Amino acid sequence: MPTQLFIIRPRRGVVRIFALVFTVMLLAACGGGSPGGDSNDPVAPVPAVVEKPADRAQAARFLTQATFGPTDADIDRLMSIGYSAWIDEQFGKPATSHRANWETQDAAMKSIDATRSAGQDGVYNSFWKAAVTGEDQLRQRVVFALSQIFVISMQDATVGDNPRAVADYMDMLADKGLGNYRQLLEGVSRHPMMGVYLSHLRNRKADPRTGRVPDENYAREVMQLFSIGLHQLESDGTVKQNGGQPLETYGQADIAGLAKVFTGFSWSCPSWPDNACFSNGSADGLSDPDRGFKPMLGYPQYHSTEEKSFLGTTIAAQGYGSPEASLTAALDHLAAHPNVGPFIGKQLIQRLVTSNPSPAYVAAVAATFNDNGSGVRGDMKAVIKRILMHPEARLVSAKSGKVREPVMRLSAFLRAFPFSSDSGWWRVGNTDNPATALGQTPMRAPSVFNFWRPGYVAPGTQASAAGLVAPEMQIAQETSAAGYVNYMRDNIAFGVGASATVPVNGGNITRRDLQPDFAAELALAEQPGALVDRLNDKLMYGAMAADLRTEIVGAVSSIAIPALNATGSNQAQVNTAKRNRVNAAIFLTVISPEYQVQK
Amino acid sequence: MTDKIDASRRMFLRHAGTMTALTAVGGPLALNLLAMGTASAQAAGDYKAIVCLFMFGGNDSINMVLPTDAASFANYTTIRNQAPDSIALLAPGTPSGGSGTSPAALGGVLPINPANAQGRSFALHPVMGELQTMFDTDKRLAILPNVGPLIMPTTKTQYGQNSHPKPKSLFSHNDQQNIWQSFLPEGATKGWGGRMGDLLASMNARSVFTSISVSGNAVWLSGENIRQYQVSANGAIRMGANASGQIYGSTAVAAAMERIVQASRGGHVFESDLAAVSARSIQAESLLRAVLAARPPSDARFGTPATNYNPNTDPKLQYLNPATGASAFNSLAQQLQMVARLVDASSAPEIGARRQVFFVSIGGFDTHDAQNANHAQLMARLAHAMRYFDTTLAAIGAQDKVTAFTASDFGRTFTSNGDGTDHGWGAHHFVMGGAVRGGDLYGAFPAYGTKNANDNNFDDSLDQIGNGSLLPTTSVDQLGATLGRWFGLSDSQLLDIFPNLVNWNLSQRNLGFMI
Repeated sequence: MPTQLFIIRPRRGVVRIFALVFTVMLLAACGGGSPGGDSNDPVAPVPAVVEKPADRAQAARFLTQATFGPTDADIDRLMSIGYSAWIDEQFGKPATSHRANWETQDAAMKSIDATRSAGQDGVYNSFWKAAVTGEDQLRQRVVFALSQIFVISMQDATVGDNPRAVADYMDMLADKGLGNYRQLLEGVSRHPMMGVYLSHLRNRKADPRTGRVPDENYAREVMQLFSIGLHQLESDGTVKQNGGQPLETYGQADIAGLAKVFTGFSWSCPSWPDNACFSNGSADGLSDPDRGFKPMLGYPQYHSTEEKSFLGTTIAAQGYGSPEASLTAALDHLAAHPNVGPFIGKQLIQRLVTSNPSPAYVAAVAATFNDNGSGVRGDMKAVIKRILMHPEARLVSAKSGKVREPVMRLSAFLRAFPFSSDSGWWRVGNTDNPATALGQTPMRAPSVFNFWRPGYVAPGTQASAAGLVAPEMQIAQETSAAGYVNYMRDNIAFGVGASATVPVNGGNITRRDLQPDFAAELALAEQPGALVDRLNDKLMYGAMAADLRTEIVGAVSSIAIPALNATGSNQAQVNTAKRNRVNAAIFLTVISPEYQVQK
Repeated sequence: MTDKIDASRRMFLRHAGTMTALTAVGGPLALNLLAMGTASAQAAGDYKAIVCLFMFGGNDSINMVLPTDAASFANYTTIRNQAPDSIALLAPGTPSGGSGTSPAALGGVLPINPANAQGRSFALHPVMGELQTMFDTDKRLAILPNVGPLIMPTTKTQYGQNSHPKPKSLFSHNDQQNIWQSFLPEGATKGWGGRMGDLLASMNARSVFTSISVSGNAVWLSGENIRQYQVSANGAIRMGANASGQIYGSTAVAAAMERIVQASRGGHVFESDLAAVSARSIQAESLLRAVLAARPPSDARFGTPATNYNPNTDPKLQYLNPATGASAFNSLAQQLQMVARLVDASSAPEIGARRQVFFVSIGGFDTHDAQNANHAQLMARLAHAMRYFDTTLAAIGAQDKVTAFTASDFGRTFTSNGDGTDHGWGAHHFVMGGAVRGGDLYGAFPAYGTKNANDNNFDDSLDQIGNGSLLPTTSVDQLGATLGRWFGLSDSQLLDIFPNLVNWNLSQRNLGFMI
C-alpha cells in the first residue's frame, strides 16, 4: 500500500497541517484496500476535519475547488459558517437555469429581428453569467465537472444546431447531478442531445435477415466513460490485475448485448409511437417543440426483442419490444457495478481538487458513493461534500492540485474584480481558438473523450517523471501558451468578449461586453508594492513567492507616472500611466505558472 | 531558463554516454551505438521528413479502398445496403444521380490499377479523383491494405484464444489512437515518431524542430528526449509583446513577462512543466519569425498570391464539398501548408534540420450514423489535402524527401447499423511521396465474406471477425519500420523503436513500399 508523502511549504498554520498529513497517512495505512483485497473493505472513519478555514488564504484555496474563483463575499461567508455549512448552504441555493437564460437572450434577439437566434453563444454566455455572477457556485462548478465526464459537444453539427437543448442538458446535470447517480445516468442516457451525440437516438434493432446490427456507440461509451471504465477497479481506484495485466470490465460480447438495450429510442412526439415520429420526430406535420430536451421515448416496434446479455446479467427475450423495461434493468445493473464509485469519484476529485489523489482519498469518496451513511448508494451531494471535505483537499505539496483549466483561469480573474456586462448577457462567446483565446469552450469538447483524458501523462515532463497524470496538460502546447498570454493581455486592457456600441457618459463608445472596475487597484498605482500585495490576495491567495513579487513590483515601478502639472492638462497621460501599471501588475500575475496551477 | 533549444549536441553526448555505459553490459545496445554513428554519417544536405496524417474517430476505410471483383463487391453490397440509409457505394461506372452524398448521388467508385492486383480489381471512394491520379498516373501513392496494431501475426483462430497476445483495449478510441502512435494505451509518453527523432536528432542543429505538430499534442511525436513542438497552421504565435517588443507600452513589462512565464519559483511540478512549454513557445517563435515570414502562405509555391492573404478564401486550400457542390475551406490542407513551409525552411540556419517528423490531423471519422453525409466530405477533404501537399512539395522540390502516411484509431465494422458503422480494427491506409513505390498494394487485400445464417461472424472469411471487422494482416510495426528504414535507421534501431517487430520474420519487416 503506497503512502503518499506530502511536502509542506513553510507557511502559517504549519503545525495543524502536519496533523492533517498524519491523518491522511493513517487513512492510507488502514483504509485503502490493499491490492487483491476485497473491494468492499470497510474504510476507516475519517477523523473530524477542521471545520473552518484558519485564515482567508485557506478559505480562498477551498473556494478555488468549490467555485469558479473566490470572492471577498464568499471568503467572508465561508470564514463565518465553515466548510460543511457553506456546502449545505450552496446545495440549497436556487439553481441557475441555463435554458431560461438562453430563452431570454433568444427572445430579446427575436424582438429586434425575428430571424435571429441566441445560438451557441447563448449557451456560452449563460455559462459565463452563472460562473461569474451565479449564487449557486458549487452546483455550477459541479455541472462543469460533470459536463466533462458525461460529454456532449456543440462541435457536433447537430448538437450545435440545438443550443437551447444543450442549455437544458446543463440544467439536467445540475438537477440530477446533485441527486442520485442512478437518475443522473438515466437523465444522460435519455437526453436527446446525448442521443444525437452518441447516435442511439433512432437506433434500430437488428435485422437478422439482412445482417443489419444495432449501433454500438452508446453501449460502448456509457460503459467506458459514464459508469464503469475499461478496467476492474479496487475500491480505492487502483486497477485490478492478473499476472501483471489489467482485468477488463467488458468485452465485445457485452457491448453487443448492451447495444440491443439502446434500440428503439427517439424523439418525444405528439403521435408517439408512430413510425414517422421515430424517424423524423414529427408525424402529420406535428412535432413537439421541446423535443430537443424532453427525454427520449421508447418505440417498442424498433426495440430489440432478443435476449440481451452483458456484464453478467441477462434481460430475457421480450415478446413485444419493451424499451422501458430493458433500459431500467440495464441502468440498474450498470449503476450497481462496484466500479462506479471509484471510477466516477476519482474523476470528480480530478475535476475539483487534484489530478493525483491518493488511493485513500479515492477510497473514501468511493465509500461515500457506495453508502452515504444512511444506506443510500449514489448520493451525489454526499460524494461532492466528501471530496471537498477530505483532509487531502486541504494539503498543499509540490505535486498536489492540478493545472488550472483555461476556462477556470478566466473565471477566477473575472470574479477577483468587479466586472459588469454591458448587455447583461455576459457575452464572452466562443473561446476555442488556442492561438487567440483559451483553447477551451464549455460544452465544446473535441469528442466524448473530453478536452483531456483523466489518465493523460504529459510526455517528457517533470510530472511524468514523478509518475503523475496531468489531464489539463493535454491541451497545453506552445500555441496555447502564447495564445493565453495574449488573450489575457487584451482582456485586462480592453475587457472581455464581443464588442458592441453602448452609451457611456452621454456618448456612444464601442467596447467589449465585460468591463472591469479596477478603482481599488488604480488607487494603489503609485504604491507598486501595495498594489502587488493586493493582487497576491485577490489572485494568488497569499501564496505569491517573494521573487515573483519582486519581479512584478520592478516591472510595474518601471512604468513612469508623470507628475500632474498645475493646469491638470496632462491628466489623461497620468491616468493612462496608472492604468498601465494596474494592467501590468494583473497581467504579470495571471500569466505566471503559479496562477495557472490550482494548488 | 532551464529548457534550452540548442540542446541537440548535449543530448547526443548524453545519449552516447548512456550507450557507452550500457555497452559494457553487452547486448543489442552495442549495435545501437554503431548504428547511431551510421546515421550521423549521412551525407550533409540529405533531408527527409515523415508526416503522420491522423484521421481521428476511426476511418471507414472499407468505403475508401474497395475490392470490385464480383464476389467481393456482391458481398459488400449485400451487407452494406441496409435500411434506412444504404452505405453501399456503387459499382465503377455508375453515373452520378444528382446532388448530395448518397451512394447514388456520388456515382460509382473510381477504378484504380495496382501493378499487382492480386487477381482482383480495386477502386477508390467516388470523391477521391485526385488520389486516383496519384495512384495510377503519378505513382506517388501506395495502398497498405488491412493495417492495424498487432503483437504478433494473428489468425482468426488465434484471435479467439485468450492465450494469444493481442493489443490492449481494442475498439476503444483513445487507447487505439495511442497504440497506433506509441504501442501503449492511454497514459503513453513515447511514440515512434519521437523515438525516430531521438535516434536521428544529432543530424539536426536544434532538437526543438525535430518533431512538430500542426495539430494538437500527439504522443507519436514524443520520444525519450525529443519533445514535440506545436505550431499553429498560421504560424508561430508571438507571446505577449507587440512588434516593438512592448506590452502596455513597456519593454520592461515584456521582459518581465518572458522571465516569469519561463520559470517556476515555487518548485511545483506542474508549474515547471508549464514553464517549459512557455520557454519552447518563446524561443522557437523567435527562431521561426523570420524564416516563416520569408515563406508566406501567399507565396505561389504554398498558396495563391494576394495582398491581404486569407487562408479561408485561398482557392488552393478549398476542396469541393460533395454535400453542397460548392468549394469550402480545408483546414487539413492549411496544416499541410505549414508543414511545407517548414520543410522549405528546414535548411535555414534558424532550423537546420535534416530529419523531421510532422503530425497533422482531421477529425470527425466516428461515423456511427449519418455516414453518407459525413464520410464523403471527409474523403473529399483527405484527397484534396493530399493532392495539395503533393503539388506543393513539387513546387519546393521536396517530393522525394517527404513521405506522408495515413493513420486512424481503427477501421470500422463491415456491417451497417442502418446509417453508419461501428468500431473495428484493421484498416486500409495510404502512403504518399516521391520516394514511395506508388501504384501498388503492399500486403494481401482481405477477403470480404458473407453473413452467416445466424450471426455476423463472417465464418467464410479468415480476415474478418465479429460484424465483419478486419483482422489486421499488416502491423503498425511493419509500416513504421519500413518508413524508419527509409529514414536511415538500422535494423537494431528499428527493433528498439518497434516493440513487436521482432515477432515478424526478417523478410516481413520491410514492406517494400519505399524506394
